[in-house]
Amino acid sequence: MSLWDFYARNSQEVLGLVGQHLYLVAISTGAAIVIGVPLGVLLTRRPAWRGPVLGVANVFQTVPSLALFGFLIPLPFIGGIGATTAIVALVLYALLPIVRNSYEGVAGVDPAVREAGRGMGMTDWQLLTLVELPLGFGVILAGVRVATVVSVGTATIAAAIGAGGLGVYIFRGVAVVDDTLILAGALPAALMALAADGLLGVAERRFAWRAT
Amino acid sequence: MTGGPADGRTVGRRLCLVALLLTGCAHRDRIVVGSKNFTESDLLGEIVAQQIERRTALPVERRFHLGGTFVCHQAITSGQIDLYVEYTGTAYTAVLKHAPVADRDSVYRTVARDYAQRFGLVWGTPFGFNNTFAITVRHRDAMRYGLKRISDLARLAPRWKAGFGYEFLERADGFRGLASVYGLRFASPPTAMDLGLTYRALAEGKVDVIAGNSTDGQIQALDLVVLEDDRRYFPPYEAAPVIRQAALTRHAGVAAALAQLAGRISDAEMRRLNALADVEHRDIATIARDWLRATVP
Repeated sequence: MSLWDFYARNSQEVLGLVGQHLYLVAISTGAAIVIGVPLGVLLTRRPAWRGPVLGVANVFQTVPSLALFGFLIPLPFIGGIGATTAIVALVLYALLPIVRNSYEGVAGVDPAVREAGRGMGMTDWQLLTLVELPLGFGVILAGVRVATVVSVGTATIAAAIGAGGLGVYIFRGVAVVDDTLILAGALPAALMALAADGLLGVAERRFAWRAT
Repeated sequence: MTGGPADGRTVGRRLCLVALLLTGCAHRDRIVVGSKNFTESDLLGEIVAQQIERRTALPVERRFHLGGTFVCHQAITSGQIDLYVEYTGTAYTAVLKHAPVADRDSVYRTVARDYAQRFGLVWGTPFGFNNTFAITVRHRDAMRYGLKRISDLARLAPRWKAGFGYEFLERADGFRGLASVYGLRFASPPTAMDLGLTYRALAEGKVDVIAGNSTDGQIQALDLVVLEDDRRYFPPYEAAPVIRQAALTRHAGVAAALAQLAGRISDAEMRRLNALADVEHRDIATIARDWLRATVP
């Protein structure tokens, strides 16, 4: 059966899985932004925490997903089987680029600009919201872009813990030796990653233009 | 277990195959042994590899933990590996796409004939054990509800949750057939998840019934019980080495070395070996060496 026949015959299911996939990516990347950006900014105020925090985020990246799921299954609230566990894992995987770029973006602001702000009598909060975050926004956005693109690919592992998404086709295809099924999952996931990369790339360029 | 936050794991596998293609093509002077990505396949691959090393002068290259039937089949038919251990029922239903049948000999005869004709691959004599799907429940539940056979499950199914691996949900000899033969109707559709995680989910009470593999070491370790397939639904899954005809012709001693392993591993023995690796975390090469020394001196 060709890929197009497969899509034609299973359009409802495909759309459902695409929806689940988008949901997993959106919620997990959103949560990673909410946690990661403030954490990265905090690191610019507490330089001593930088090593340990980035180290921990780094370690999460290296834990194999199935091992991570194994640890999460017995845990209350954030564990079990289904979407919650998958989202927790995806958030952990997305944290590193966001935290690191938030730190770099804010820490990389020209010291002269920061001094000028201080000289104008800005409080630390004003300095952050009026100077550092706007100037570092492009770098932060680049981190979000990397995290989102990686999440689209990584979200295929959600299928290993009963959370659905396009990984379902990939897992099924691998299980029954079926190329078409594997492609049916991999192709839309790849397109989705390219689309996310393109959209956030446009946002990034537009911002860079405005910042200059 | 598969590794890594695998963004695009299929792409990764394809790249692996390409890498194999670039590096491993001309192996006239050695035997390349592959295995699938679970403990038993690694163990059997290691046993076969060491047996060839002991009995012939050939260097053996190991390409273990390849991503399942699909990848192993692609690798051996394209000549990237010379040998791996496959299961008769899996080859019969998943590779050759025949409808499942229960007769051991006819399944073996069919896969041996079709593999030779279609792929130029030879099936060795099976190791002796049958690694069938094991419908598994918690010991506690088996005691409380008097569960012994899969038939006993029918009355409990409407209140129970099932969690199955993708392979079991998809295969012709998997869940759909089982449900209709035994009249199983679960409260909700079974949760599809990774096979290894189903054991964890069952032990933690997140699901009530799973389909494991009958030779898995986890079954005893996690205090689980396998229900009897009293209506003989599952086809046989006898493990045997599958080898490229070209490699057999080129290396005379290999067939004799493999023949010494025929019929040497019982169900209980395989379960014990798997438990040594999975439960006691012993090194696979050591387990294989000790077993070969004791069994095929």
